Amino acid sequence: MPYSGSSMTEQAGQFTCSVVAYSVGNALGATTAEVARALEAGRTGLAPCRLDLPFETATGALPDALPALPKALARWDSRVGRIAALVFDGLAGPVAAAVRRWGADRVAVVVGTSTGGILETERALGEQASLGRLPDGFDLQRQHAFHGLLEVVRELAGARGPAWVVSTACSSSAKVLGSARRLLRSGLADAVLVGGADSLCLTTLRGFGSLQALSSRPCRPFAAQRDGTSIGEGAAFVLLERGADGPARLLGVGESSDAHHMSHPHPEGAGAVAAMAGALAQSGLDGAAVDYVNAHGTATPANDAIEARAIVQVVGTGAAVASTKGYTGHLLGAAGITEAVFAVLAIERSYVPESLGATPLDPAVAVDVVRAGRRVPVRYALSNSFAFGGNNASVVLGAP
Amino acid sequence: MIPPLHVSGVGLWAPGFPDARAFATGVPSPGAVEPPAARLAAALRRRASSLTRMVAEVAAQAVDQAGVDLAGVPLVLGSALGEIACATEIVASFRDEGGLPSPTKFHNSVHNTAVGYLSIAAGNRLGATAVAAGPDTAAMALLEAALQLAECGGVALLLLADEALPGPLQGWGTYRSAAVALLLTAEPTARSRARLERLRRAPADPPAVPPEWRAHPCAGGLALAAAVEAGRSGALGLGPAGEGGWAVDLSVGAP
Repeated sequence: MPYSGSSMTEQAGQFTCSVVAYSVGNALGATTAEVARALEAGRTGLAPCRLDLPFETATGALPDALPALPKALARWDSRVGRIAALVFDGLAGPVAAAVRRWGADRVAVVVGTSTGGILETERALGEQASLGRLPDGFDLQRQHAFHGLLEVVRELAGARGPAWVVSTACSSSAKVLGSARRLLRSGLADAVLVGGADSLCLTTLRGFGSLQALSSRPCRPFAAQRDGTSIGEGAAFVLLERGADGPARLLGVGESSDAHHMSHPHPEGAGAVAAMAGALAQSGLDGAAVDYVNAHGTATPANDAIEARAIVQVVGTGAAVASTKGYTGHLLGAAGITEAVFAVLAIERSYVPESLGATPLDPAVAVDVVRAGRRVPVRYALSNSFAFGGNNASVVLGAP
Repeated sequence: MIPPLHVSGVGLWAPGFPDARAFATGVPSPGAVEPPAARLAAALRRRASSLTRMVAEVAAQAVDQAGVDLAGVPLVLGSALGEIACATEIVASFRDEGGLPSPTKFHNSVHNTAVGYLSIAAGNRLGATAVAAGPDTAAMALLEAALQLAECGGVALLLLADEALPGPLQGWGTYRSAAVALLLTAEPTARSRARLERLRRAPADPPAVPPEWRAHPCAGGLALAAAVEAGRSGALGLGPAGEGGWAVDLSVGAP
C-alpha cells in the first residue's frame, strides 16, 4: 500500500521554492547539455580506473587535466575545487543576477562534499614519504579542508550570506536541499546556491575496495548479476529562490537515520522508508503521485534489494524507477544534488532515462525499473540518497 | 527571522576538563584523559574514533542534564576538520603498496561518523547532519540547528567538536581536542538554563575563552558553554574574530 501523506499535510500549507537554474558535470560531460544528451542516449561515462589501485574497477572520471582556478584562488587549488569551478561556470550568469537582485548578503551557499580536497593531502603525504617534508605549496586549510572548497564556491558566486558545507558522506548534497529550504523559509536568505562536488581519490576507492563494495566492471544497478558499485567524480549546482519561476519546484526533503550500522543498510529499509515518507509529507503528496524515482541504486546486492522494497512500501509500483549510477558512477558527496538535477531534467524534458545495466533484472526487484528510456510526462520526481552512518535523505521535486 | 532558542543542557569534554563546569572554572582535573562515552555500548566504543568518543560523551552530558531521551533528538554536528586523525592515518597507510584501510577505519573517516555512532547507540532514527565552515563552524552549526527548530519545533542537539591535528599536519593549527554539546529547544522548558537569540554577523572580539583555546575551530562553542555555566549574559562572539565574525545574545536564567 503506497504511503498516504495527506493526513500529515503541514498546517500552514506547503512551502515550496523554485529551481531557478542548474548546472551539472561529470564523466558524461562537463556541461549540462552534454550530460543530458548522454542520459538520453543511454551512454555510460564509466571506464577502467586510471588511479593506482591493487584491484580492477571502473570509474566515472573527468579528464585528468582540468582548467585552473582563477588567479586569485590559486592557493586554493585542488581537483575538487577545479571540478566545482568547471561546473559552476554553467550557472555563473543566473547566480550573478541573483546577487545583483537580492544583494550579496542575502544569497546563501550550502555545498555538499564527502572527501573535499583529501586527494591533495594524499599527494602531499605521498611526497612527504619520499622527500622527508610536505611539498611547499600544500595548504591544509585551503586545499584539504571543506571550508577551502566552500571559499572557492563563495568567491566564484560573489555570495556573502550564510555559508556552510554539509558532509554526511553519500547523502551530503541531498541534505543541502533541506538546509536551503529552511534558509528560504525562515526568510534568512532570498536565494540559495546549493551544490555538491567530489573528486576521485585513493581514500574512497581503496576504502570501498576494502568493503568489497566495488564491481570490477561498470556497475549494474538492479540487475540480477550486480556485484558492486562504481565510483565517479563530478559536481552539480542549483540556484533556489522563494517564489521565483523556474523549470521545477523543490517540494520536500526528508532526512532520517537507520540507527543500525555504519556501512550496512537497515535490513527492512526503515531509514529509507522514513526519508521518503518525510519528503512526501513535506510535499503534501501521496506516494502514488510520484511519477519517477531516481533511486540511490548503488548496484551493491544489499542496497538495491532493500531500496526496491522500501520504494514499494512508500511509493508503490506505479512509478518509473531508474538508477543513474550506471552512467556517472556513485558521485558520493555530489550524488544527491546531481541526481536532483537529473530529476529536474526528467520533469523538464518529459524523459526518464534507462536504468543502465539493469537487464536482466533481479527478479526480487518488484518496482518498475526503466529498461528503455521513456518519453513520459513527469510531474513529481523523488530522488534517494543513502549514506554511511545510516544517514538518509530523500528529495521531492515537482513541475512548475 | 529565527525565533529565540532555549538551552536546557550543556556538555563539554576536553583533555583535563571532564565537563563544562570544570572548563568554566579553569581548574583542570588530571584524571580526565579519555572521555568515558558510557552511552556507547562496549563493542561500539571499542571501534569508535577518539573524536566520536568525545562527541558521545558531551551528547550524553547535555541530554541527561535536560532530561531528554537521546533517541528522540535530531543531531547537528559542527566540526571544521572532522575525523582528521582517522583520515590521515588511512592516507598514510597508502605508502604501503597495495594498502587498503580496514572497513571500520574507512567508515570511521566520514564527517558524520560521530552522529552515526550516536544514532546507532541510542536507536535514534531522526535526521542527523554534519556541517563544516572553518572558523565559522560554531555559528553555522548553530544556525542549522536553529533553522531545524524553526521548521519542526521541539528539540535539537547541537554538537561541536574538533580534535588536535595529527602529527604531519600540526603546522596548520595548534589546539587540543575539545567537544561541546548544547541541548536546544524551540520553547522554554522547566530545565531551560539560558536563551539564545539574534545570531548575526558582527565584528567581534575573539570568543571568550582562555588564550590557549582561541585557535580551536569550535572556540565559540566552548565560550557559549562556559558562559552558560558561569551565568554570564550578554553578546557573545562565536568566531571568527574581527570583520565577518558571528555573534549571538545569551541570557542566562531567562525563560
